[in-house]
Amino acid sequence: MLSRSAFRQATRQSWLQQRRGMAAPASGSFQYQVGEAAGIKIASRDTSGPIGTIALVAQAGTRYETMPGLAEGLNKYAFKNTDRRTSLRIQRESELLGGSLISTHTRENLVTGAKFFRDDLPYFVELLAEVASQTSYRPHVMQEEVIPLVMMDHKKFLANTLDMALSSVHSLAFHRGLGNTIKPASSTPYTKYLTAESLEEYAQSAYAKSSFAIVGNGVDHAELSKWTNEFFGDARKSPLQQLTSAQSKYYGGEERISHGSGNSMVIAFSGSSSPTGASYKPEAAVLAALLGGQSAIKWTPGFSLLSKATQEAPNMHVATKSNVYTDAGLVTIAMDGSATDIRSTAGKVVEALKSVAQNISKEDFQKAKALAKFKELEYGQEPRAALELTGAGLVRDNKPYQIDDVAKSIDGVTEEKVKKLVKEALENKASVSAVGDLYLLPFAEEVGLKV
Amino acid sequence: MSYPTLAPFIQQRPWLMRWMRPLARWYFDNSGYRKLGLRADDLIPEESESVQLALKRLPPKEAYDRVFRMRRAFQCSLAHQLLPQTEWTKADEDISYLEPIIKEIEAERTEREDLESMIIKKRTSASTKGGH
Repeated sequence: MLSRSAFRQATRQSWLQQRRGMAAPASGSFQYQVGEAAGIKIASRDTSGPIGTIALVAQAGTRYETMPGLAEGLNKYAFKNTDRRTSLRIQRESELLGGSLISTHTRENLVTGAKFFRDDLPYFVELLAEVASQTSYRPHVMQEEVIPLVMMDHKKFLANTLDMALSSVHSLAFHRGLGNTIKPASSTPYTKYLTAESLEEYAQSAYAKSSFAIVGNGVDHAELSKWTNEFFGDARKSPLQQLTSAQSKYYGGEERISHGSGNSMVIAFSGSSSPTGASYKPEAAVLAALLGGQSAIKWTPGFSLLSKATQEAPNMHVATKSNVYTDAGLVTIAMDGSATDIRSTAGKVVEALKSVAQNISKEDFQKAKALAKFKELEYGQEPRAALELTGAGLVRDNKPYQIDDVAKSIDGVTEEKVKKLVKEALENKASVSAVGDLYLLPFAEEVGLKV
Repeated sequence: MSYPTLAPFIQQRPWLMRWMRPLARWYFDNSGYRKLGLRADDLIPEESESVQLALKRLPPKEAYDRVFRMRRAFQCSLAHQLLPQTEWTKADEDISYLEPIIKEIEAERTEREDLESMIIKKRTSASTKGGH
């Protein structure tokens, strides 16, 4: 029979646990624990479930690449032959363990990682250490395996007008750095710049201890530290060439690209940086939810401002996104569909944007705030959530991306802040890109934007 | 290209090597390909998958030099002539440039076959990684 004081203490403890945080899972919270092992910054959070994910996030995306195509090439060269074992063996062993390997790159980061059963953490940490420091860059692997994939990416990019338009607005907005194309837009990257030697040099800069961070989801922090200490001890300390990029500055402009199949038009303006960066504006996320365009419910366009504005073109895809990078951001409104649809609705989209600067109805604003917060927390529940953002934040600013804090800051957004963001966007130059049938697609000035 | 050979047996015994080296040197000089300016690896028969792939993997300069040597040797053969002695391949130039690549390809092939014929046992504890 429990004594009365012990019983009281137990109930008090369970009461405190229930009050711990919003939607915190049973065995942990969304918060990342930060640490250091073998000179490398690590962060992890122990979520419940049998699967863990780790990623090596290197600050070596297209923004930092020394020559075009290197970031993508290095990404595609991950998990290929190392000094100790061949790529076939790596693949087979990972398959036998039931893990899957991740290798992606974004504008700022190279993410190389794996998803696996929690018990296999040491194996995959060792694998990542081999990839980082012991990959052997051979010309025949480039010719046989890497360059054909880069060529396919190139073709895929050229066939997709929406990707082309988004890439174009980024380069209009940021010129170099964040404006570098994420997929090759021509064949010069792989014919002129991408060779085994240039990749090897880039790897020595990208996989140096000061350029990357290791982030884990669903792994124990102490275990991660221990294995990182053991396997990453002899990774390169300082990069061959310090990969830097100047502070992003927003420029703006207009670009029109003729294309035979597909039509897209993207309007973009300066948004918010990542929460770990300097110019963080949670109102950008709320604005993206307010304008919207896509609905979570099937068979209805939804009731966001842009859905209402583009009602007469139901087959056109319109979506607003707040793209967040470490020190800058871009809010993009993307329209993709037939050229006549875009022509007739682009003006209405801009009017909807201008109306936000004047007046936002209370109901719309509440909906937008709720949706932004929901999206943030839903993102936080994904196993890969915030891996990349935390890694990037750690490397650049030494701060991880804490989802709880971000969701809280969305609560503090007011209508005035959103109106101010839009007013500034309309006063400065917008970045507008139209890809497709240029005879029909409107110019920025025809729809009322300043470029 | 796995044929029965005593070469590894001899290479592991230095006293045998001392005996065999002059014999080998005499044999290579007299087999005649050096008098046509060729290297030993130029003579490897190309009609096999591994060698074809190895040739694709040759660095561009090596590939070009190989083609040049073969053309020169073919021309000599047509003219029923040997090269002047200054142009014969010297022993230290007769390096094996293709053989290591072929061995690599063969090793990759056997590794693939080994991995495919593996017997997998279901894991009982967290420490083992699957049968091999």
